[in-house]
Amino acid sequence: NVTDASSATAIQRTYELTKYLEHQLSTLTVSYLTYLGPPFNDPDFTPPRPNNSASLPSAATRLDLWKGLDNRLRLSENHRAYSILLGALKGLAAGTLCPSLQRSLQHFCTGLHGLLVSIAGVMTSLGYPPPLPSGEDIPNYFTPKPGSFDFSRKMGGFWVLKELQTWLWRSAKDFNRLKKKLPIPRRRTHMFIACPGI
Amino acid sequence: AQRRSQQGARIQYEKIGSDVTMQCGTLGSEASVTWKVNGTDVENRREDDGPRLALKQVDLSVNGLYSCFQNPTGELKDQIILRVGNPPKEPIVTCRSNTYPKGFYCSWHLPHPTYIPTEFEVSVRHGLQDLQVQKDPIHKNRCHVKLPEIFSNNKYRVNVTATNALGNASGFLAFDEISIVKPDPPEKVVANPIPGNPRKLEVTWNSPSTWPDVETFPLKYFLRYRPLILDTWQHMELSDSTSYTITDAYAGKEYIIQVAAKDTEIGTWSDWSVAIHATPWIEEPKQIIITTTTEADENETTPSQASPSAKPQVGDTLGS
Repeated sequence: NVTDASSATAIQRTYELTKYLEHQLSTLTVSYLTYLGPPFNDPDFTPPRPNNSASLPSAATRLDLWKGLDNRLRLSENHRAYSILLGALKGLAAGTLCPSLQRSLQHFCTGLHGLLVSIAGVMTSLGYPPPLPSGEDIPNYFTPKPGSFDFSRKMGGFWVLKELQTWLWRSAKDFNRLKKKLPIPRRRTHMFIACPGI
Repeated sequence: AQRRSQQGARIQYEKIGSDVTMQCGTLGSEASVTWKVNGTDVENRREDDGPRLALKQVDLSVNGLYSCFQNPTGELKDQIILRVGNPPKEPIVTCRSNTYPKGFYCSWHLPHPTYIPTEFEVSVRHGLQDLQVQKDPIHKNRCHVKLPEIFSNNKYRVNVTATNALGNASGFLAFDEISIVKPDPPEKVVANPIPGNPRKLEVTWNSPSTWPDVETFPLKYFLRYRPLILDTWQHMELSDSTSYTITDAYAGKEYIIQVAAKDTEIGTWSDWSVAIHATPWIEEPKQIIITTTTEADENETTPSQASPSAKPQVGDTLGS
């Protein structure tokens, strides 16, 4: 029926946007880590997690639990994660001292906000209550202190991008799974057969 | 370093290039003995060595079963299996997930041979959690680990410690889940000509049977093909489909075709599949039937029976 078709199309578009953002982020991450400088731009370097990184949503989950998520929970987990990560990314952009990189980060924030809107659209088309408007209960991961660029702030930036990358990878699988559950219905031809007496 | 062998003889391990001394049981320094190696007398020994046998800068050639007999009775007093080798160097570890998201396997090897028995101890951590490691029943120096979770940012760290009688050494590998995913090549690659289409080949394949859940973790594919007569490949990337029709094949030319696979989001491409060969459909040559008439036949034939023209009609097929 019509809802199935519009939902499936919305899911497909959200999947494609996720893939696009995933690609964009991998380029942006290279630029940002170069901006952070050594050791952050060493591919084998993984800094410790800053104390407040617990407030960043982790995409990690057990396979059986992830497979068992129903559509609504799957979508709302995505929406909540990106709401928090968008807030953190805005703080990151605000504290970035390199103008061109700051513009790229802000441009990416726009894309991420588009993803949030897209996810909300999918939820609505599937008849679920709209998710929490972003920014409400979202903890402030970064207190933008332009000029202060200490190691812990750099670590924070590293982990925001890392979690974002992982969520986009997970979301691609989430939306792929939703796509398979709600395939775009083939165009159905209706045959009208004149039945005597009806 | 010493151990005991099944036959009861002591095994003495010594480092290649070192000087070695073997002691004949617990005999005192004044005792006089004769040494044999693998049943043959040991030449040019110094008398004042008493019950010991000294070998300089040993190499692999000195390996063997050494027996010492007390003079003058010739009584066998001791037997030593001498094994010369090296302590292990740092093992080199590689890990890969071809069964994502079920788990991954790790393999290791030593950069230099040790020539003596060497054991390996493997431990795997994910973040702060120790994971269970399963030895591979078939492949030597390989173990399997189940992924405790997916979409994780915590690094995995695999530690391999090699130990033998001459020493030990450890090597490790740290990696993200995302970086070790590499499927096996696609299977059952088949290419068929399409009747009536001299420039097409239909290629089909299966996802690798080791990939556990292609529905939930879809693969994308990379197809490459070229005519045997050329060296440059043509490439085609395909997402989520296990068939493709080549439409620009050179008519009548034999093609070589291969396929590779990759998770749609993470990891690296598989190796290429087995190469297969196929040739596009070729139109059957038409048969032209040519009839030849001799003089005798002409005399017999009455004018009305002779065909108006003996010229082969266009489209007739030649007699094969």
